[in-house]
Amino acid sequence: MREQNISAAGPIKWGYAFNQWKVGWQGFARVDDNVRALKVTSACGFRNVELTAGTGPWDPLGRPENIALNFGSVRKFAAGLADWGIDRFTGILLDPTQLSFEEGHFGLRTTRRADHAVIAQQAAVFARFLSEIAGDYLVLQPLPPYWQEGALTPDALRAAAELINAVGAANAALGLKTYLHLDALSALRTTAQLDELLELCPAPHVGLALDTAELTIAGHDVVAFYRRYHERVGHLHFKDALATDTLSEYQLPHADRAMLLAGGQREIPRWFGELGTGLVDFKALVRALRELDYRGWVIIESDKGPQPVASSVMLNSWYLQHELQPLLMPPITAG
Amino acid sequence: MTPSPRKLRFAYMDHWRIDGPQGYVSPYTSVKLLDGFVKQIAALGFEGLETFDFHLDVLTDLFGSLPNARQFLQERGIDRIVSLFHAVIFKNGMSQPHERATHDFLFNNAHRVVKSCAGLGVLNLVVMPAGQYHDVEPVTDERLRACADLWSRIGKMTLDYGIRLCCHHEFYCGIHHAHELRKFYEWSDPRYVFWYCDTAQHTIAGVDAVDLYMQLHERCAGFHLKDTHHVDRVGDYRQRPESEVTAKTTPRWFWEMGTPEGLVNFPALFAAMKEYQYEGWVGVEHDKADIGGGNYPASTAIAAWYIRNVLQKIYA
Repeated sequence: MREQNISAAGPIKWGYAFNQWKVGWQGFARVDDNVRALKVTSACGFRNVELTAGTGPWDPLGRPENIALNFGSVRKFAAGLADWGIDRFTGILLDPTQLSFEEGHFGLRTTRRADHAVIAQQAAVFARFLSEIAGDYLVLQPLPPYWQEGALTPDALRAAAELINAVGAANAALGLKTYLHLDALSALRTTAQLDELLELCPAPHVGLALDTAELTIAGHDVVAFYRRYHERVGHLHFKDALATDTLSEYQLPHADRAMLLAGGQREIPRWFGELGTGLVDFKALVRALRELDYRGWVIIESDKGPQPVASSVMLNSWYLQHELQPLLMPPITAG
Repeated sequence: MTPSPRKLRFAYMDHWRIDGPQGYVSPYTSVKLLDGFVKQIAALGFEGLETFDFHLDVLTDLFGSLPNARQFLQERGIDRIVSLFHAVIFKNGMSQPHERATHDFLFNNAHRVVKSCAGLGVLNLVVMPAGQYHDVEPVTDERLRACADLWSRIGKMTLDYGIRLCCHHEFYCGIHHAHELRKFYEWSDPRYVFWYCDTAQHTIAGVDAVDLYMQLHERCAGFHLKDTHHVDRVGDYRQRPESEVTAKTTPRWFWEMGTPEGLVNFPALFAAMKEYQYEGWVGVEHDKADIGGGNYPASTAIAAWYIRNVLQKIYA
């Protein structure tokens, strides 16, 4: 078979997310379905995978407790990844606003100090798991969505920063970085707010996870965004955006459903798309990454696309191999 | 395209259908759909495609010419259409290889196809060398000789176009049992008639595909690597009006390589290919992979995974 040359050995390390396979609480609940999905990801040339923090009994790879239950132990699980064509799991994305069976809550907010202890405890579960499997980072949703929080007050921002710093320090003690992932629904809307947050979280082990689609939907030019914040961007999620939120529907009650899934007033059928099918200028962004000497992971994502999910991974693999990798030739040597 | 230094190059035999707003459609419906399909196949590392002869007109419609179609493929990482499956309509009294009176009709049909496919880079014309078993039986020596003579004649013609005539035995093919296969290949001209090893089809028919490869390795011009979970022990291969899709015993016959229930010993096959130093294209196929909730892209990816992680470690 032709070599795909999707490498994690250079300054830009390519991986793939795993969040796109799970549909509904009880979907994608079988171990063999998860293994098959990992094999599909590996077949597309991606041997490094970013997990999403899950919950409950129907998520075999979503919690370390489930991994131990299904595979014997976390260590045994990690030792067997090569059998599936996977080198390692790079990190985990954690959204504290999501329900957790294990921590016993229906969603928590980083902006509420009363929630901090449980959020930190939950983050620690995943951090310990990552340190055991040689993961690199925790990606954290730093703020709740606007439709829950409303306009961000200075005190709310400070509260979130306190939590971020505490989780960041705990992760750093385990050798992990912490990256803050802003999405299109976030209560943090402006670069001024982001500047303030970054000032409140100055530690080098806390950085930004730049999600190309989320920021584009929210109205940002991601290339300009990266150039502005490149010194703090330690992680990227690549997915394309098929529309922008021109009606500010992030403010809709339950915007996660009303805007993202239902499409809002315009009935947008799909917000996220395969690389090269939408509004994000990935080529310009990759050139900027190279120019500004980005060194870290770029995780490609398929998010809320039509079935079959494998098609999205395969199409993104083609785009990376044929459209983006040539921009990185000749390769820059690492180190 | 830069030639590969490896002994084996992999092609994909397409049966995909794509679920769109109007239901299932063929990837050949539009340039856009074909673009997505070809990119997915190329992304996995396949370098060639195999398709049916009835797609030749559609490719000309979509791209203006077959050389244009090939350029479209090459721009996306697929070098050529490696093999063209000649979809013969087997009809008693009109087009049956075991009936000598129909040979001119079959020859002219095949000739038309090989003349029409110039520009795609086709290397093989793949055929089922006999009609359905229930139309051919009793499978006498005379009927096998008639088949052998027909395809020897056609194979001599196709070589004038740089194309090898390759015989592919569906499990319901009139040349089905091991002794029938042996006679057919003994009586057909080895200069002109080649064998296409479909691993699942032979296995379903109760013939060990690896053993058959060892016997016919010098005649082997290509493969369709696919697996099965069933051997036909009850005579499905003789069912009227057809044996595969409407079989009462088996809703799904074909699976991608690498399933736990699979019956084909692919590692042993690749060891044999290494022993006999097979060099050239190897086809991978998924036939009706969406029966029972599967899907073509995932099946294709799993097969590609199996090649990279299991088979290429044996022979590449």
